[in-house]
Amino acid sequence: MPDEIKTLSSQLAQDPDSLVFLRLGELLRQKGQFDAAHRVALTGLERHPHLADAHDLYARILADKRDYERAFDEWDMTLRIAPNHIGALKGLAFLYFKVGDVGQAVAHLEAARQHAPDDPGVAQALALAQGGGGPGGVPDAARAAAAAAEELAPAAPAAAPLEEARVFAGLEGAQEGLLLLDAKGQVLGGALKDPQGRDVTDAVAAYLAGVSHEAARTTKLLGLGRWTGVAAEGKLGHIHLTPPAGDAVLLVVRDRSVPMGRLAIIAQRAAAAARRWLELDR
Amino acid sequence: MTTRAVEAWTLEPLVTFVKEAGARLVLVMTSAGQVMAQHGFSRAVDVMSAAALGAAIIASTDEIARQLAQPPFAVLNHQGERHGIFLGAVSTGHGKLVVLVVYDLHVSSLGLVQLFFEQLTADLQAASPKEGVSKQVLAADFERELSESLNTLFGR
Amino acid sequence: MTGASRPAGYGPALDLVTRVRGVRGAMLVSGDDGLVVAEQLMEGIKGVAVAALAASLASRLRRAMEAAGLGVSLFWHLQCDQGGLLVVPAPSGVLIVAVAEPDVNVGLVRLELLRAAEAVG
Repeated sequence: MPDEIKTLSSQLAQDPDSLVFLRLGELLRQKGQFDAAHRVALTGLERHPHLADAHDLYARILADKRDYERAFDEWDMTLRIAPNHIGALKGLAFLYFKVGDVGQAVAHLEAARQHAPDDPGVAQALALAQGGGGPGGVPDAARAAAAAAEELAPAAPAAAPLEEARVFAGLEGAQEGLLLLDAKGQVLGGALKDPQGRDVTDAVAAYLAGVSHEAARTTKLLGLGRWTGVAAEGKLGHIHLTPPAGDAVLLVVRDRSVPMGRLAIIAQRAAAAARRWLELDR
Repeated sequence: MTTRAVEAWTLEPLVTFVKEAGARLVLVMTSAGQVMAQHGFSRAVDVMSAAALGAAIIASTDEIARQLAQPPFAVLNHQGERHGIFLGAVSTGHGKLVVLVVYDLHVSSLGLVQLFFEQLTADLQAASPKEGVSKQVLAADFERELSESLNTLFGR
Repeated sequence: MTGASRPAGYGPALDLVTRVRGVRGAMLVSGDDGLVVAEQLMEGIKGVAVAALAASLASRLRRAMEAAGLGVSLFWHLQCDQGGLLVVPAPSGVLIVAVAEPDVNVGLVRLELLRAAEAVG
């Protein structure tokens, strides 16, 4: 672990915008170096204020430092950005147990179970809270709180994106300029790199969580029918967003040398591939 | 974050508003500060103080409007560094209600809150029972009613 | 255009956009607040809703584009089967927004929005 901390620290020093601060902060937290973890998380948050995982990391560190009020705020913020964030739901459940509000704790654990039905920790904490483990059938809040507290341990690293070939077989840019997301901003396929070649998949996915809902809401309220795409031009490149099916969103990114019209054609092809893949996966 | 209501008819409009406006905290209360529904509060004491302060702001601005010989201000907004506070009044079949909204400037905006507040107003007006304004709370009943309301609002 | 609210100086900027065939309205929107600064809209278009929703979508796209290393957003177009929303963020933080019919000349609207953004400053 010390080697990994060293490696990650030097990566972060070379590229302060990198998302490695998430892993580094978590490792420091696990080692009990809370002040160092605090500094890493806070610096990361300053650079990525809209990244749910950054708020979650900071909340964990604050909870470790027993600063429960600010931890609550950070987990609350996490849920504002990513309403189904399992870490934040578990974290808030933990805090509610701490103040003896078993009802709220259970509500948050149930929400977590809905989105992570296979998480054994959530199931265990719920069973303790609901099972009447204490005398006279009263749920043993202390034991449930302890179980929920254990769940504050780092979550397993997110599963790697599905093999691009399965979704975008044969399409140009599948490894660095195509991304298929679900409504919650979870990556279903593809990957994204910035112009410097750094992997920005997770950060972009996080910011695009809910964009499908937002676009659909806008078109509905303005009476514009159904949204078919968003084309956007940046100083260094273009993006095209398409809803291939349901709430999923397909993002295609290219540099400015690719005209917007051509980008739309690439997006159409990728959307057809994504649609086929989503139908097969159903 | 959970949404809870003392008056069941306020729940659905409030849940929709919170989702669409991206509000962090919301209180729906009478102009006397009696809470009918809340979203996002974790402690009863916070609800009580927010309700009292919200009602006081509305009462103060109503009085300013009266002294200016104009109708009461429809909405008030205070914008801070990270959060905005929005206060609006809604006339329903159940009497005048006050809605206090705290929103995060990274997540929402005054425009979104205002837009969906219009929807909330319409939804509350449509959902409110038409039998008249809520009964006056007597001082003797106040503590019991407050305690019952807080129990409901925090699911106890 | 019927519904018009044009604080002094913004009228010519909005005129640049609304004169394009197929444009149903143009607005200046405060990007931070999602509030209307000036508008020139055809009957039936809800300016308040356009402002709030366009600003919200603009903010989300801006963050995503910055995270993708694409720099600041210069123009975006929400394409819908019954029309569209075309937006250019001005450096001042104001958004210049056009509400358009589906068959509008997007290239021309984009150019006029960019010119309007320059005029607004």
